[in-house]
Amino acid sequence: MLSTPADQSEGVAASLAALGAPPSSVRRVAHGTTVVTNLLLERRGARVVLCATSGASDLLELRRQERAALYDLSAHHPPPLVDADLVVAVHERRTPQGVSVALTPAEATRVADAVAALAPEIVVISLLHSYDDDAHERMLADAIGKRLPGVAVVQSAEVLPEIREYERTTTAVAEGYARPRVSLYLQHLSERLASGGYPAPDVMTSGGGMRTAAEASSAAASLALSGPAGGVVGSAAVLRAAGLDRALTIDIGGTSADAGLVLEGEPLVEPGGSVAGVPIALPRVLVETVSAGGGSIAWIDDGGALRVGPRSAGAVPGPVAFGRGGTQPTVTDAHIALGRLDAARLSGGVTLDAAAAKRAIAALAATLGAAPERTAEAIIAIADAAMARALRRVSVERGIDPRSCALVAFGGGGPLHACALADLLGMRTILVPPHAGVLSALGLAIAPERRDAASSVMRAADAVDQGWFGARLDALAMRAANASAQRLAWHARVRYAGQGHELDIACAPGDDGAALAVRFTAAHAARYGFTLERPVEIVAVRVAATGDAVAVTFTAGTAMRPEATGQRTLAGPHVETLADATMVVAPSWKARSLPIGGFMVERV
Amino acid sequence: MKRTSDGRSKMEETAEFDPLDLAVMSHAVAMIAEEMGTVLERGALSPNIRERRDASSALFDVNGTMVAQAAHIPVHLGAMPESVRAVRARKPEPGDVFILNDPFHGGSHLPDLTLVEAIDIGGEIAGYTAIRAHHADVGGMSPGSMPQGATELVQEGIILPPVRLERRGVPDESMMELILANVRTPEERRGDLAAQRGACAAGAAGWRALVAREGAPRLTAACNALLSYTERRAVARLSAIGDVMGRAEDWLEGDGFSTDPVPLAVKLEIRDGRLHLDFKGTSPKVRGNVNTPMAVTRAASLFVLRTLLDDDVPTNEGIARAISIVTPDDCLINAKWPSAVAAGNVETSQRVTDLLFAALADAGVAVPAQGQGTMNNITFGGDGWTFYETLGGGQGASARGPGPSAVHVGMSNTRNTPIESLERSYPILIDGYAIRRGSGGAGEFDGGDGVVRKYRVMERCTVTLLTERRARAPRGAMGGGDGTPGRNLLNGEPLPAKCRVELEAGDVVTIETPGGGGYGRAR
Repeated sequence: MLSTPADQSEGVAASLAALGAPPSSVRRVAHGTTVVTNLLLERRGARVVLCATSGASDLLELRRQERAALYDLSAHHPPPLVDADLVVAVHERRTPQGVSVALTPAEATRVADAVAALAPEIVVISLLHSYDDDAHERMLADAIGKRLPGVAVVQSAEVLPEIREYERTTTAVAEGYARPRVSLYLQHLSERLASGGYPAPDVMTSGGGMRTAAEASSAAASLALSGPAGGVVGSAAVLRAAGLDRALTIDIGGTSADAGLVLEGEPLVEPGGSVAGVPIALPRVLVETVSAGGGSIAWIDDGGALRVGPRSAGAVPGPVAFGRGGTQPTVTDAHIALGRLDAARLSGGVTLDAAAAKRAIAALAATLGAAPERTAEAIIAIADAAMARALRRVSVERGIDPRSCALVAFGGGGPLHACALADLLGMRTILVPPHAGVLSALGLAIAPERRDAASSVMRAADAVDQGWFGARLDALAMRAANASAQRLAWHARVRYAGQGHELDIACAPGDDGAALAVRFTAAHAARYGFTLERPVEIVAVRVAATGDAVAVTFTAGTAMRPEATGQRTLAGPHVETLADATMVVAPSWKARSLPIGGFMVERV
Repeated sequence: MKRTSDGRSKMEETAEFDPLDLAVMSHAVAMIAEEMGTVLERGALSPNIRERRDASSALFDVNGTMVAQAAHIPVHLGAMPESVRAVRARKPEPGDVFILNDPFHGGSHLPDLTLVEAIDIGGEIAGYTAIRAHHADVGGMSPGSMPQGATELVQEGIILPPVRLERRGVPDESMMELILANVRTPEERRGDLAAQRGACAAGAAGWRALVAREGAPRLTAACNALLSYTERRAVARLSAIGDVMGRAEDWLEGDGFSTDPVPLAVKLEIRDGRLHLDFKGTSPKVRGNVNTPMAVTRAASLFVLRTLLDDDVPTNEGIARAISIVTPDDCLINAKWPSAVAAGNVETSQRVTDLLFAALADAGVAVPAQGQGTMNNITFGGDGWTFYETLGGGQGASARGPGPSAVHVGMSNTRNTPIESLERSYPILIDGYAIRRGSGGAGEFDGGDGVVRKYRVMERCTVTLLTERRARAPRGAMGGGDGTPGRNLLNGEPLPAKCRVELEAGDVVTIETPGGGGYGRAR
């Protein structure tokens, strides 16, 4: 289905209709969207007016003062989402010691007038130290609300009540920038679906949970990384069904590969990430993207080294073998030249020209003075190295040893590269999920509803007693609660006093600061290999309220497992053509089909 | 580990290496350096390391050659190999961890504490990891150890030639005690050093895994191939420029005692794909602390070459092989004991960079107009605390467009300290932090703007400023206007470019950083 940029909801509704299923048989419409990502990339969002503390109103332009590229002196960061002439300085000031300049009603009125004069579509307020006390932000929001009824006002302390003004401001601004368009889009989508007799849509957030379209409309920033989250959520479901609980995930597509992490059966969700140069410090399913995929082009650089990517042939012209005009050999061509891709079975109707792929590889090999087959192997190995680096980054940065994880390999190219990646990382178990090509869709279909809430703490752990802490967590839970929330998971963001990075420590009512400090110390030792004799500080608490995951049963006979036709064991080397992907079982590896569909591949 | 017949250890043997695997090995070693940096940044205590990332990590092969560096900070670029060379000169044992900061024995300036671990595999040294981080205080005559007015190195802080912090993996607590007894903020130092130690260990673990996977001889061959490859890429780029020659002169705005200009000069030649630099005409060493050891001059030269290369060229010692440097002996930029050097690392390094870009421009190579040319070093010190930071400014415009505003240029790329973090940690309020509008030079493309930052101190303390480009503006290029020079103010009254001032509660120090030069004639 062609996407319809003018109103993507049209394309979504048309796709549903094309399925041919009667609307009454559709139980759930789950939607993963790149609408916010694209708004940010293309800078097509709303006209935002930003209100910021006087003296600190250039934050968006100042960024964090590092340059865009270390060695390219002319490189610029992407421009801020709000131009300087749309920023209104507010005469007020909070310090860690309290209010040093009170926000007067007269000043609030003056600011509201100034904002109105700029004709905003939406207003964002971000004042210094508002994570600590948001009274000034609220007071100003009231004044602007009265002056501009009907114009939404976003307060930074509501979007992200955490210390560090730049990241809090950019996150709040991203919310304001995306909200009007996203809300309109979701409204259109809901209307179209309703008129077709379909259920109201749920939307996947960056955190891998589902929100109703109505809720998602006022949580636009939380959709910024919605796109890649589905695959990790789907991986986690298949992993649990296979009886495992810890995995690295790799989703290999045409132009890029996404690496993720699943711990204790759940996708790793942590705050951070940035889209199109805009830091968005909200919880997101950890996904690291590298430009290595099937379409990545192999070339020779001016030092004579064989290189792969970052340029990609994409879908058009695509790999040489696709015969759509591609002339430069890609990773896919290397696989074809080595006979690992079945020429008859690839890519819905594409007829592969294996001879052309071989010719392109041979030409490259001739320039290098190497054998064509060896060159094809090297092309794949280079792509593997780039992907392994991303997998290590997501795991090692979190103190997780890749060797303790299974590898869930999906996307069109995942099962092709899985054994090589596992070998590079010392991993022993690979899970190739049923329908490896569309695991992201499975993730969307089963993701539970999830709502997040956070509040600032900024206290020494030894000053946090059980009663106070429990009340704080309960209050948070109230904010995130909804009818279908079955499960509450709290995390405290904890650090040694003075550190700038926090660790997320699981907690629950009944805990006190001392208990958290003990857990934090153990986590710090596990992750960094050392501990400090310093006071422990609780920066913030978060809660995630999740509903039940939509139950899916992976059983014989369902569409989930077309390739499993009874228990099979495949010893490597072996190439197995699956419904929507190709699996390479390397020497020293053995695959066995699973009752849930898909394969478990283990080192012999 | 057995010795071979020629007396070399197994680690030093080499095997055949297929150049088709270069990119694979390049990923593998870069990944380890990157992991070290992550462990450091996440575990470190002081804002200067954890928020501003004033730190670098590097990985060395069995011969002590740098095979990968993860750098946020260009001034560390070419300097880390000297640390490992200095450690190797002390005959390390496998598993030893050295600490050093002596500018004349592997260091740069005293606040940069470098840890070097000799990686132990089976009782042999298999390679080295090194982590350099700028510590907020290492003792000496002024809080923050970036003094103004030092005339000899011993005034600038504790001097650590390469000494063992761990012997064969066993910590030497007395050495740690000695170091901590000489600094103003021992607990913060202990925390940062623990993070540095953790980062070295993470790198060593990564190297061991790589040796286990590839085998020592093949890894050694791969490292050699990777270094030659990097050298080839640098040479290819320089060859494409062709044989050219250029000269330039520039001046520092005094040595901290007098404001007499201190000259720097260079003759730059690109010949047969190699960069030859002769700094004849550069000032002899000076009385104040703007001198630099050779390591810093080398780093600045490497940085300038690096900006000419594509971004994807790996950062390793292969780049250095394309450069040759000649300097007068014991001069400003090749100072010897007992010269003071604290400010040289941060300011003279910037001037060397400007000088080399000017020489490239003179040789006809397209380079941007001058950027702010200073790091704007600011150190506050009070009872039991010190706070150090540097400020961004304007970058010069180029033929490709306007100069970026409010960024670090040249040899630094540290991040700013968030206002909210700073105010929670120190008795300082930020009264203002803004773009210094209009400070970039006018041109067809304007230079980037500097910044204005106002610090209100809440208690008695001192401030030390080490700044440049307060008198001589960053120059425009191709007819573009100059940037506006920077200004330092105390309660609205001008302060010198380099000074140390006692402050009372309520005093406001304002730093206005320079704008970058414009490019092309303004229309």
